[in-house]
Amino acid sequence: MLNNITTALEALPALPAPRRAALDALLKQGLPGKKDEDWRHTDLSILDQLSAADIAPSALNHDYPSAYEDGLDALNTALSGGTQTRTLEGKVELDTGLHQRLKLKVSGDVELVLQDITPSRFATFFAEIEVAPNSRLRLLRVQQADSQAQRLTNLKILLARDAQLDAVTVDLGGRFVRNDLYVHLNEPGAGVQLYGLYAPTGSEHVDNHSWIHHRAPHCSSREFFRGVVSGSARAVFNGKIFVHEKAIKTDSETRVANLLLSKTAEVYAKPELEIYNDDVKCAHGATFGQLDEDAVYYLRARGLDRDMARALLTQAFAQEIIEHISNDELREKITQRFLSRLPQGNTSGKA
Amino acid sequence: MNMLEIKNLHASVEGKDILKGINLKINAGEVHAIMGPNGSGKSTLSNVLAGREDYTITEGSVTFGGKDLLQLPAEIRACEGIFLSFQYPVEIPGVSNMVFLKAAINAKRKHQGQPEIEAVDFLAWVKDRVKKMSMDIKMLQRGVNEGFSGGEKKRNEILQMLLLEPKLMILDETDSGLDIDALKIVAEGINTMRSPERATLLVTHYQRLLDYVKPDFVHVLAGGRIIKSGGPELARELEEKGYGWLDAA
Repeated sequence: MLNNITTALEALPALPAPRRAALDALLKQGLPGKKDEDWRHTDLSILDQLSAADIAPSALNHDYPSAYEDGLDALNTALSGGTQTRTLEGKVELDTGLHQRLKLKVSGDVELVLQDITPSRFATFFAEIEVAPNSRLRLLRVQQADSQAQRLTNLKILLARDAQLDAVTVDLGGRFVRNDLYVHLNEPGAGVQLYGLYAPTGSEHVDNHSWIHHRAPHCSSREFFRGVVSGSARAVFNGKIFVHEKAIKTDSETRVANLLLSKTAEVYAKPELEIYNDDVKCAHGATFGQLDEDAVYYLRARGLDRDMARALLTQAFAQEIIEHISNDELREKITQRFLSRLPQGNTSGKA
Repeated sequence: MNMLEIKNLHASVEGKDILKGINLKINAGEVHAIMGPNGSGKSTLSNVLAGREDYTITEGSVTFGGKDLLQLPAEIRACEGIFLSFQYPVEIPGVSNMVFLKAAINAKRKHQGQPEIEAVDFLAWVKDRVKKMSMDIKMLQRGVNEGFSGGEKKRNEILQMLLLEPKLMILDETDSGLDIDALKIVAEGINTMRSPERATLLVTHYQRLLDYVKPDFVHVLAGGRIIKSGGPELARELEEKGYGWLDAA
């Protein structure tokens, strides 16, 4: 296992000792398996299907840590050539099509777009983002890789006093996609609003795992995900809220709603709560369903054909997430991409 | 000119017979009222004509403008000029009334081989009709029927009818849940549409709407059959005596 990774790394012009150590750590610790609760529905052995050429590690070398959290952490370090540190200002776009390992600092008002710029078969994108007191990070992560692509993303976002994270994540592609998101509300008054849409089709597999840690009093979190799953695709959602002992007056809500458009589509969605104090307001829920046939009939009785009626209703369902994208051009592109991937094709009633 | 002809129509749902031999002819320019007690098959008849697929047609035929209506899917019937004002209009959050109305109008135009409507013309036209129905223009940005009161939903049905300009208007219990002011607005909307080229089928339990929209013919539906037909005076008779006396007749 992982021979392709070893071969790809050894083919680099140079493999400095700390990078070799990252590879050794990966080989020693291995990748999480199906027995690991967080990986029950997502099987990383698919990485073995990549050729050494598909791995495409970065030729550059940056800073290497002295220890690794787990095999994935070591994998990303070995492939990206270590950590690059940057301070973000204004509007920034980063390429998720490359192996990258970033340490980012945000202060003031920052708009960050994460998307594939370099088309690639495989990429691991890990970033730790520190948001300074009273700062706001507006984050948009858009994944629309092709139907062969494999993507692993891991975002850790640390929020200081009164810092805000407004995030929208959209997954409209990729053969095998796993997104891990950690949000740490570390100081009082910090807040996160997270909207996510996943819409795998064909034989795509998209897994969104998130962990929101309330570590200080008076923090709020909102997490709203919607899934539209068609073909033989599989979607996984796991949203866990931890309310630590000190985090009194926590206000938290997690909702996930799923629309299944075919009999062979699969979805595993689970919101979870772990609470260690009793002065909190936490709500969560998950729903699964098909299109409302009464609504389809109503639209047909007004002249819209069945495909158009279904597309309009599906778009309306996804719109609840898409409408939170503040960039008009990207929002329109994402809407079109979403519609073009629906089983009945692009037949929307445009406004 | 003969617009709609229903011959010996039988329909069932989940194996239960609801319509048991309906015969009805409607000519252009005529207003027909179908009255009957609850459970007589009124809504089934409306939905069978509009093309709902939950029903099985076991016998009989329906022709509309000479075409075999029962062979056409609901959306083609709509494009050909059949309009059902729903007894219970569906709420569709996330699809604005504006997007919905435009999609409906363009679907019909496409069916008739016409180009899509110009945005400016459309807006002016819609705004005029919205005012006619005494509705708030802001409703156009809201989801279809989302959070509408019963009266607002019925007015929205009539608004759609004014915009789609159908040939046959089927109004299924449109008067239910309306206060007197809303009833007058709805009735006025229906009357605006009356013309020698159009026909109307009013399906109702009560005579109330018929005070404002005068029918040419009144039919009593009971047990899945039309058991009595007459002029407007029949509606008044029903209002006074109820439906009980007809069983004996």
